[in-house]
Amino acid sequence: MLTSSSGAPIVTQPMLAFFAVLFTFPLWAEAAGLYHYLGVEIAIFIIYALGYNLLLGYAGLPSFGHGAFFGIGAYSYGLWQFGPLPGVFLGLAAAIAGAALAAGLVALFLSHRRGIYFALMTIAFGQIFWFLSIRLRGITGGEDGLLNILRPKLNVGWFSVNLSSNATVYYGVAILLTILIVLLWRLVHSPFGTALQAIRMNEMRARFAGYRVWLIKWTVFTLSGAIAGMAGALLALTQESAYPDVMSLHASGFVVMMTLIGGGFVSFWGPVVGALVFILARDVLGAATETWLLWYGLLFMVVMLVEPEGVVGVWLKLQARLKRLGPQPKPAEGKVSL
Amino acid sequence: MDFLQNLLPHLLNGLALGLLFALIALGFTLIVSVMEVINLAHGSLFALGAYLAMVIINPDLAGWGALDAFYMGLPLGARYVIALVFAPLLIAVLGFGLEILLRRTYGKKKEYGLLLTFGAALVLEETIRLVWGPGEKVMPTPQTLSGAFIAGDMIYSTYRVYATVFGAFAIGMVWLFLDKTPYGAIIKAGAHDSEMVRALGINLPRLQMLVFGFGAALAAIAGIILTPIWGLRPHVGVDATIPAFLIIVLGGIGSFWGTVMGGIAVGLAVGLTGAYASDWSLLSMYLLLVAVLTFRGRGLFGKKTALEA
Repeated sequence: MLTSSSGAPIVTQPMLAFFAVLFTFPLWAEAAGLYHYLGVEIAIFIIYALGYNLLLGYAGLPSFGHGAFFGIGAYSYGLWQFGPLPGVFLGLAAAIAGAALAAGLVALFLSHRRGIYFALMTIAFGQIFWFLSIRLRGITGGEDGLLNILRPKLNVGWFSVNLSSNATVYYGVAILLTILIVLLWRLVHSPFGTALQAIRMNEMRARFAGYRVWLIKWTVFTLSGAIAGMAGALLALTQESAYPDVMSLHASGFVVMMTLIGGGFVSFWGPVVGALVFILARDVLGAATETWLLWYGLLFMVVMLVEPEGVVGVWLKLQARLKRLGPQPKPAEGKVSL
Repeated sequence: MDFLQNLLPHLLNGLALGLLFALIALGFTLIVSVMEVINLAHGSLFALGAYLAMVIINPDLAGWGALDAFYMGLPLGARYVIALVFAPLLIAVLGFGLEILLRRTYGKKKEYGLLLTFGAALVLEETIRLVWGPGEKVMPTPQTLSGAFIAGDMIYSTYRVYATVFGAFAIGMVWLFLDKTPYGAIIKAGAHDSEMVRALGINLPRLQMLVFGFGAALAAIAGIILTPIWGLRPHVGVDATIPAFLIIVLGGIGSFWGTVMGGIAVGLAVGLTGAYASDWSLLSMYLLLVAVLTFRGRGLFGKKTALEA
């Protein structure tokens, strides 16, 4: 298999398995009782959670206002489509740029902070953007948000793809997710990724080792915000609207939940599993009862009490137990590469 | 002079808001300092406290006969005082329960505790919606506190004066408790170095439980006083905690006077801008925060503490 300079393979077996599931989903979705739109939503939230986990799982920086950048991406994309040059790629670029700009600005205040200071300040900044999104009615449409963002045609070279069906959108999002997974896998196994983990384990020691910690923190925050912006833009494209709900404190909390419930602290794949479980659980509970948020909250509490390392954490423990029957001890600290 | 006089009612509004925000923030800060947990359920405890007080003031006792006749025969003022005592106590008990659950997350990653309280916040908010419905409720207040009075040429709302005085009084009591009693000394020591406190033979788990309950009760008290001004709806907890978060960051985490000053500054900023552009009044507190953080990264009175590790 291809390997990168640091020795980690560029494409791994779990990756291939995931891509196989990802790209065949529209073929068996209806047979399994699912629908294309659900797949789009799950893929978008996987993008969001993967970007978020760069910050939480790898660098150990708990942002509780990440919904802001998701929302800014959605609004930037929507506003771009109302402008003179509508188009998918330009819209996505505008969303990524807008979210990165906002995240970069916020990160200037945050990159010297850690722990509870960091978390509280992300909440505060998240609220600023949420407030602006509601109050800047002339730009964002206030509480209603931006409506009727028409899906533009996707022009790739000479081809022109009509995005009116959710299946087409799904494949577009799946391609982006594939690229993102390969890039992020490469990134977390690069020296930069190692530095992120060094900061998570002991920030002071990382600084003494010569890393410019604040710059690394600034970069990862901005990058993570930009990815959230891309996810937001994709959701705006799919739903043909952008609204302030995604920027609220609750929505920001949900991405943290997604990341942790899957096992973001113990595996690269944690956020992928988490987003999947999160959206499916929402659909199942939402169909079964009006008060799904109540059960959702209880579910989270139970997960945090019983198995805070999430689904992948359980899986790894089972695997370790099986392995204990044979020789080979398990490394305790650090990322486990699946 | 005219100009200043026109501003006076707005200053009073701002001061009332600021002191009550500070009260919410103080409870939150105590919990952060002693347990290193960001209690995202704080707003829900605030709201639930107000709902419970509403029920205690006007309970549905039909079918209880004599008890109903006796209790509802009490003047509204008496029932209000009963609510002001018992609703926070009930919330404190709920806080004990939450803290006991939180114990499983101590010593692990801090995010786990934070997310446990986030789950609790969802549960509490949905429970409120389930029991009392999604609509707006009215928090009853005694007759003597409602209405308005005239001083000079301006009309003042009696309730806002009461809220201001009550807020200042409550903060003063918290300060006396923390600074002048041996229990306060133990709490402060616990915030500084909990291991050492345990080594000195103090029952740390019990201390943590009591502090969590105390912080929760402060939120409930603020909820009872603030909701007649703000209205009582399931979402009110989130609306109230957001300024509290800002105040804590603004004043410096773990600092008593920083929190109080931050609260007053935010309250005055919101009150004064409310006089000119009410839609944008909340923006002023965000701008205030950004301005302060630009020059003082840890807030007004913030020091480098163990909380940053």
